[in-house]
Amino acid sequence: MTLLSVALLVPSLFWDKGPQSAPELLRSGVTSIVASPEIAATWKNQPAVRVTAADPASFEKLPTPGISFRSDVASATREPWVDSDGWHYLRRPDGRFLYDVPGPTADLAAAEAFAFGGQAAIKTDGAGLPSLAKMLKFLAGIQDEQLRPVVNIAFVDDGSTRSAECLNLLIRRNLLVQASKSPVSTSTLLPVVLGSADYPTKDASNPVVFAQQVREHLTDGKRSLRIYGSDVVIGRLASNGGKTRVYLLNYGTGKYSVDGIRVRVLGRYSKAQVFDPEGSSSKLIDTLFDSEAAEFTLPKLKTFAVVDLDM
Amino acid sequence: MAMPADWKEIPEYRIVDRSGTRRSSNGLPGPFPGRYVRVHSEKAIDIPSNRIDAPTVRTMLSAGMRQLTGASDDRDAWARFISPEDVVGIKVNCSGAPVINSNPELVSAIIENLLSVGVPAHNIYIYDRFGNQMRIVNFEAYVPAGVQTAAAEHSRGSILGYDPFTYVEVDFFGEDDTRSNLIRLVAERFTKVINVPTFKEHRAAGVTGCLKNMAYGNFSNVARSHRWEKTNTYSFVGTLASVNTLRSKTVLNVADGIRSLWHGGPFCQDPRFLFFPKEIVVGTDPVAIDRHLVDMVEEKRRQEGAPSLFNRSSEHLKPGPELDPKYNSFIREPGHVEYASKLGLGVFDKAKVKGEVVSL
Repeated sequence: MTLLSVALLVPSLFWDKGPQSAPELLRSGVTSIVASPEIAATWKNQPAVRVTAADPASFEKLPTPGISFRSDVASATREPWVDSDGWHYLRRPDGRFLYDVPGPTADLAAAEAFAFGGQAAIKTDGAGLPSLAKMLKFLAGIQDEQLRPVVNIAFVDDGSTRSAECLNLLIRRNLLVQASKSPVSTSTLLPVVLGSADYPTKDASNPVVFAQQVREHLTDGKRSLRIYGSDVVIGRLASNGGKTRVYLLNYGTGKYSVDGIRVRVLGRYSKAQVFDPEGSSSKLIDTLFDSEAAEFTLPKLKTFAVVDLDM
Repeated sequence: MAMPADWKEIPEYRIVDRSGTRRSSNGLPGPFPGRYVRVHSEKAIDIPSNRIDAPTVRTMLSAGMRQLTGASDDRDAWARFISPEDVVGIKVNCSGAPVINSNPELVSAIIENLLSVGVPAHNIYIYDRFGNQMRIVNFEAYVPAGVQTAAAEHSRGSILGYDPFTYVEVDFFGEDDTRSNLIRLVAERFTKVINVPTFKEHRAAGVTGCLKNMAYGNFSNVARSHRWEKTNTYSFVGTLASVNTLRSKTVLNVADGIRSLWHGGPFCQDPRFLFFPKEIVVGTDPVAIDRHLVDMVEEKRRQEGAPSLFNRSSEHLKPGPELDPKYNSFIREPGHVEYASKLGLGVFDKAKVKGEVVSL
């Protein structure tokens, strides 16, 4: 048993059962868990599973990611409402977060934490364990510590609820953003400061209006990532200089089948390859590489996919 | 026909077309600009039983095609547009099914003629956007074995049936998906398209006829053009229809006006809004045909005491199902027909349009 004193580089399973559940874990391919100190202590004679002790009270609890249909809210469109926790990771990059997601969509929580570069543990039940275990194994296999987020917007986060809502909308609109407590010096990113002349406070009170203003100031032509064909997919980009990685999260997993999304990534590339936790033979189709951008279609997206673009 | 007050606020459209911009000689408005032939028969439908008379429909189609082309037989009339080597897509409209849709009897008659020209059955496609709507009509029961039916979306919202390399890009209301892509079969497989629209009032576009069936019926992600009371159909319909790949391949319009709707379109929310012109209209000029449609629906609405299609007053706006003819969810845009003429898709000026009537 080890104490959680190092960063959770890859999301982990938070488990609240004792060593009698070892066979269940091992059947799912899980050999490493996080548990409360009391539970962790009961595992000391079970060598097959590595147990890290952590007080759940030390984690910030996050709501279940997914989608909802807000029929009680008047809206000009019938877009589903995407519940993403991504903004938490941008606000607190050193934070440690805990999800409690029963059922098979627990894998989305793990994928979300990974795509946003955050530290998280996911608690689930027997129904969620197989898909979560598969996702954790996949994430461990594609981890690349050299990758750094690719963003277009430098958002100053004042820590307020309003700021959180604005950050959330930017993420949901696939406007690639980084957050900091104070303005950063940048010549390449669009600076966004709530309460500035460009983003008056009264407009920021409506995050939808605010996000649209940011988008118009940035312009679609300068967005490093565009996603067409789905309202429920959020994407993130990361790069190590030679490779750009696209993370694609389907927040509708379990409810919405995403049968095809078209992705556009700015930059010059010559090839693209897709990976997913299902290890499916799904290939990208209708690829296009030109001097400005790469485009490709992913025929099916279950929960999470990673596309590596090479120059 | 007055232009809308904000008609000059045309959104910025970007057209990406894999075929480029070189215009085909076959393309709209085709060899008969400013002309159409209306063929009417009281026997086209028995209203009490709601049964279409297939032999009458075949005869109507024959009369219309011969009158349009001047040919003395059907095969020669159709050979004007179709050759045996063609792969033909018949674009139907099933959005109002089962009450009002492109009648399978008419589609069957078209197919008979395509076969007589020498197009093999497996190179004939009946297609629309949504598979669930097409299944309601069940075209397969009316056409010979080998003829194919195809939907762009078997699961709603899937983009796989659309061509990623041919699209119109526009941002109407800040929606993130700004592309509307052409049906992949049109871009990649068909050499010719026969447009078989229904004749209906449309709550957003004013009317849905040839142009709207071409435009909104051949592209993805078009519902985004309406939000609250505003629709962008005024310019979007013509812009979509003008995309070169589609325009070049659409060689003929055979409009199904046996049934029509004067309110509540396109989905026929109440059968009391049905009426029965009992006509088929053929022509190569979609603008000229749709001009006739606008006049027809406008006159019917006048008879029923309903507001004009061109009424833009907010007192007639009410969101929700259009069950009261006094109200509508949107400000209609029947001016989309005239706008399409400005894009060169056909002739709008009534003085220059020749509509011929054949009564059987």
